[in-house]
Amino acid sequence: MTDVASPSTSDTESGAAPTTPKAGKRDVWIVFFIVPAFYTAFGIIFFALTRTMPPPRPDITTAQMVDFFENHSTTIRIGFGLLILIVGGAGIANGIVMYHMKRMSTGSVLAYSYMGGMAVGALPGCLLVAICFLTATFRPGRDPELMAFLYDLGLLSYVGSLGCFSVAYFAFAIAILYDRNEIFPKWLAYISVWQIVTEILAVPVFVSRAGAFAWNGSISFWMGTVVFGIWLSCVIMFLKKATELEPVDAPPLD
Amino acid sequence: MQILAEAEDLPKTANIKTQLISLWTVPVFGVVFLIAFIAFPGFLPPMSPNLTADQVAAFYREHTAAIRFSMVTYDLLGVMLIPFFMVIVVQMKRMTTQSHVFAYCYLTAAVSGATVFALANIFYLVAAFRPERNPELTMLLNDMAWITFIAPVGMIVGQNLLLGLAVYFDTSQSRPRSPAGPVFPRWVGHFSVATALAIAPAAMAAIVKTGPLAWDGLLSFWLRNGAYAVFLVVMFFVVRAALQRQAVSEGVAA
Repeated sequence: MTDVASPSTSDTESGAAPTTPKAGKRDVWIVFFIVPAFYTAFGIIFFALTRTMPPPRPDITTAQMVDFFENHSTTIRIGFGLLILIVGGAGIANGIVMYHMKRMSTGSVLAYSYMGGMAVGALPGCLLVAICFLTATFRPGRDPELMAFLYDLGLLSYVGSLGCFSVAYFAFAIAILYDRNEIFPKWLAYISVWQIVTEILAVPVFVSRAGAFAWNGSISFWMGTVVFGIWLSCVIMFLKKATELEPVDAPPLD
Repeated sequence: MQILAEAEDLPKTANIKTQLISLWTVPVFGVVFLIAFIAFPGFLPPMSPNLTADQVAAFYREHTAAIRFSMVTYDLLGVMLIPFFMVIVVQMKRMTTQSHVFAYCYLTAAVSGATVFALANIFYLVAAFRPERNPELTMLLNDMAWITFIAPVGMIVGQNLLLGLAVYFDTSQSRPRSPAGPVFPRWVGHFSVATALAIAPAAMAAIVKTGPLAWDGLLSFWLRNGAYAVFLVVMFFVVRAALQRQAVSEGVAA
């Protein structure tokens, strides 16, 4: 398109352009839209289907754990069956954050650190609980003690995988604070610091079987979940903004 | 590939050579994987999920040495495909008409996928470590091994869809300004997406015990593993050709 075209011709010529986003690139947009779609599915899977959000209680009898798997067998299978199919969305969500972090003036180190923490965290943070719960519902007649083992292993790894995400939040916060390209607002860094605090406050889940610091407790679970929800909403919002503000003619990233 | 004598010591030549070495992990370790696959007494045909605990325990007692050989091989060498995935990442980053967000998402998904693959063989090896264990426990380990090996396909599916998208967005033409043209031919995109679709149904292996979707079934075992084996073989030649084009366009090879 020539830059000196008359208004009428430029309107017709670029007729398709204004309806597509003015800034950002189509491939980044495709990846961006997968992020809210994946986390919506993630929320439905963990809250509505598999009943891991809020988690079932740690202070119940072995028989009650068996009942939990029995009562929610169908939805656990649907939910975690779906999760292991679409979990690539987690890789995509991490990839686009890494992409925008690499656009910061802070260099690649923190972007790669974020990717490393998050990519490793997918296994203890969401896949292992899926494997445990699917193994439990796979054979309902199993010895109740083994069902209780799968219950504990699944939930402790899910709520208690701390360091992988802490390192990612740490890298994210430092990158935002030092970035001069204004990819994300500075206050998002402070919310990320709170994410690390909630990971630390989840340490007692390995000791405490009831109360505020148990894996379903008000501090170890609920506070962390609320902060995570706020953090994730902000990240999605500002990923959108960063994608909008990215120039269409920006060269491919190194 | 014939490296030009005058280019022998250039950094860009080393870049081509290291990619070639990484690419050759596919045929070398492919042969090793095939040997380990044939050596595992429960793959030809695959073990049924409907064996009793005593039958599973007997399987581990009778075939302890072969199971150990096969799974130690996967443990040591299974993740050796990572260099190959990284060649794909680097080739995706040579695509000039996109932002490279697909490459970063692919990288993250590849790392996460490797963590899952690295876990599965441990379960087989723990079951074989003490074959005299309570059969209920051996069956639990065997279930977790099979479910972890076959069902969590989300990362591979994500990787292949991302590769497909990257190929579709690689619209550069062979012009004087960008003589290289697209990195991969367009059919590689269709092929990659088709491989993802062939692998996807195996997620059901964690849910059903009979029929083609069971972990020993036509879709979950044979199609999933067969499609991925074909993908690796085809991609070896595709990437080799891409490297040849890269070497020629960079003046490293004739």
